Amino acid sequence: MTSFNDTRHLWALGAFLAAVGLVGMVVRRELVPDDFGRQGPYRASALADVAARPSLFQADATCHACHASVEHERAGKPHEAVRCAHCHGHAVEHVAMARKAAEDSSIAVPPAAEWDGDFLTKIDLYVTKDRATCLSCHQAVVGMPADFKKIDVAVHLEEQGASEPLAKDTCFECHGGHDTAP
Amino acid sequence: MSFFDLPIVTSGPAVSGACASGGCATGGCASGGCSTARPDLKSETSRRDFLKTATTLTLGAMSLTLLPGAMAGDDAVPPASKPSGFPSHAKKPMYGFLIDTTKCTGAGKCLTACRVENGVPEGQARTWVERYVHFKDGRVEVDLVPEIGYAASGEPQPAAEDVLRAYFVPKLCNQCVDAPCNQVCPVHASIKSPEGIELVDTDRCIGCGYCVQACPYGIRYMNHETNVADKCNWCYHRVMRNEQPACVEACPTGARVFGRIDDPDSEISKRLATLPTSVLKQHLGTLPLTRYVGLTDEVT
Amino acid sequence: MEYHALHDAPFVFPNDAYPAWSIMIVLYPYITGMVAGAFVVSTMYHVFHREALRPVARLAVVTSLCLGACATLPLLLHLHQPQRALNVVATPSPSSAMAGFGFIYSFYMLVLLVDVWLLFRPAIVERAHSAPGPWKNVYRVLALGVLEITPRAAEIDRKLVHALSVIGIPAACILHGYVGFLFGAIKANPWWSTALMPVIFLTSAVVSGIAVLTLLYLLLCRSSRMEPDEECVRSLSRLLWMFLVLAVTFEFGDLLHVAYEREEEWHVIRELLVTKLRFSYLTLQVLIGALLPLLILPIPAFTRVASAAFRHSCTGVAAVLVLVQVAAMRWNVVVGGQLFSKSFRGFVDYPVTWFGREGLLAAAVVLAMPMLLLWGAMKLLPVWPPSPQSESGAKT
Repeated sequence: MTSFNDTRHLWALGAFLAAVGLVGMVVRRELVPDDFGRQGPYRASALADVAARPSLFQADATCHACHASVEHERAGKPHEAVRCAHCHGHAVEHVAMARKAAEDSSIAVPPAAEWDGDFLTKIDLYVTKDRATCLSCHQAVVGMPADFKKIDVAVHLEEQGASEPLAKDTCFECHGGHDTAP
Repeated sequence: MSFFDLPIVTSGPAVSGACASGGCATGGCASGGCSTARPDLKSETSRRDFLKTATTLTLGAMSLTLLPGAMAGDDAVPPASKPSGFPSHAKKPMYGFLIDTTKCTGAGKCLTACRVENGVPEGQARTWVERYVHFKDGRVEVDLVPEIGYAASGEPQPAAEDVLRAYFVPKLCNQCVDAPCNQVCPVHASIKSPEGIELVDTDRCIGCGYCVQACPYGIRYMNHETNVADKCNWCYHRVMRNEQPACVEACPTGARVFGRIDDPDSEISKRLATLPTSVLKQHLGTLPLTRYVGLTDEVT
Repeated sequence: MEYHALHDAPFVFPNDAYPAWSIMIVLYPYITGMVAGAFVVSTMYHVFHREALRPVARLAVVTSLCLGACATLPLLLHLHQPQRALNVVATPSPSSAMAGFGFIYSFYMLVLLVDVWLLFRPAIVERAHSAPGPWKNVYRVLALGVLEITPRAAEIDRKLVHALSVIGIPAACILHGYVGFLFGAIKANPWWSTALMPVIFLTSAVVSGIAVLTLLYLLLCRSSRMEPDEECVRSLSRLLWMFLVLAVTFEFGDLLHVAYEREEEWHVIRELLVTKLRFSYLTLQVLIGALLPLLILPIPAFTRVASAAFRHSCTGVAAVLVLVQVAAMRWNVVVGGQLFSKSFRGFVDYPVTWFGREGLLAAAVVLAMPMLLLWGAMKLLPVWPPSPQSESGAKT
């Protein structure tokens, strides 16, 4: 015959484990976000959190909103598909400043020359007539599609009867900028 | 239910079948359909009902826009009140990504764009471009396109006369319909968005790295600045504003195409309709949404 | 055909340059394996009544508990967001092989804790009466305030311990088989992805548990100038030999299969074994860790050559070698699996560091912790079996 005295320690153990379990459940409740599982098996507001990131890489339309003449110059030309950012930098700061200036006339956007920097160093904005800009796409590299216009600088200069060293903006002596002619 | 993910397993072969038979636009749709047809964890949809739905979607090969709006349901409506167990995600747009390796020139413009857009730390990458060079002596060498481009990097280049053929292969998240990274995340910090895009909940990620191990494509990484898992999310924030992902916006040659695969007039649907495409590591059954033109066996 | 892409210039995916899992993830299955293995030894006595193992039966459960208490330590050191660790039990994903850990581990520890408590309750109660000064209170708390044991209660406890040991066997198997599954279920990694992984981990876990217990027993006997029980050491040697044979069969059987079938990315694995893992796999895991103890162990296990002391030394040496084998095996799986890029075209290095959260020093501390706990537990509880007289006294 089993009396309470024989199982008292098990009741004590049970009470102890129940208390631990209860604390665990309370803690767990605290750890589950309110909107968890509302939409799917995840924190529903996480979607909005990710979507709230700013768009930093500027589409050409952003540039053309102010520099409308450039859009016109480039229309239908071979370089229409080249993005403003490829030659002029990512312009994250420049666009932010231009947007501020549009609302507040006391802010002036610095003239282009002041932005001028070195291509390839990822400076925010630059006015570039640097042959490195052209060559970043057009220098002949193994792997380029056959129909892509590529040049080997040495061969090209020889054809043109020129030789190194040449100025940084040497490409533009023959080729256009926005209205690129081949 | 989610453990076995039955619907995806079932509809998998139908998807690849549709694609292999050349109907790539519809194939793309169907595979997108699988992701959206993934049943809400809360819904009480029975297997049989679901199979019926999946079969309808796949066999019908129709755009989901044809479905009556009432069937689509609403996120806020309790699952029990939904008419026929159609998942709540059915009305969301379906996106796809197409990489045309024959158009990529290896300029690397997409790489800087991605780093700027997403603040990816140096030494890690959400996207990269590989170059495969098949030499005339049978060797195949692979290297990475430098972010500033080959011209500025000054890296020694293989001599053109030794090369049989060469091509560039951009890599980014495949947004697998049956994503191994999502499957292994222990805390639901990996999210398959209603649009089928795989996201990281940086507020809940515990940084265990299991997803990094599970991704067969090496896309995921433990961001060593934020100390949580990070990955390409097709610039979800831009897509939600109807903008193109940064790498697509930056590509001057149209090698990267992003768009709605449930819209037959979109650029991507048109290309999918005319070009034969394939996916990476198809044997793993991850059902990627990123499709490639011009993949070779050498590409892993 | 010897020609393969690996012999061209190597190419590694950019994000594969740094292995995501460190030496802490090597320690985690190492320690968890010992937890499961030591418990299995105790069940050999408590469930299967192998009387020869009586001297180590209690030591085994206490060792298992002490190791178990430290099993989460390497995980916490590894997590990049350790403060969010409890998310694993708050919002566990049913599809994740990792999310089960919180529950399986908790269940196993619960079984173990109750098992130990019931097993040692007579000693705790006795000390709650006899211990000096403040220690009395410690034992009172440990006894949960119940300070008497009726004969009927002792009878009930004996049955419960038996029942818990029975439950503990599948629980221990699940705990460690599951750790193996964690790796075996990663289809992205051909070095991990095999259905045999849970079995391989389980058998090597039992091996490591027996080895650590054998070594502890021999060392504790030596430190307390006690003669090790000859039959006990013989029995442990036999168990160790038998499970080592099993573990080796599964480990190398699986590899042989992959090699012979030229499965998946065999060329990568072969290259891995003969270059990056040449020492840790071929030398440590195969030659020194497996072959040598397989040759040494039959001496103490099946013969009575030379002196008992010599045979005990053989067992001790074999136990050390086996512990090296299992450690090497964990290393080769966890680190080895990250030494090649998923491009399957190149290898990377694992940078071993001394300092930092995931350095060698931290690893040494993690390994020392359970031993420290065990030392404390031995101060608190009598891990050696009660003399036959007192036990028969308790029965009546």
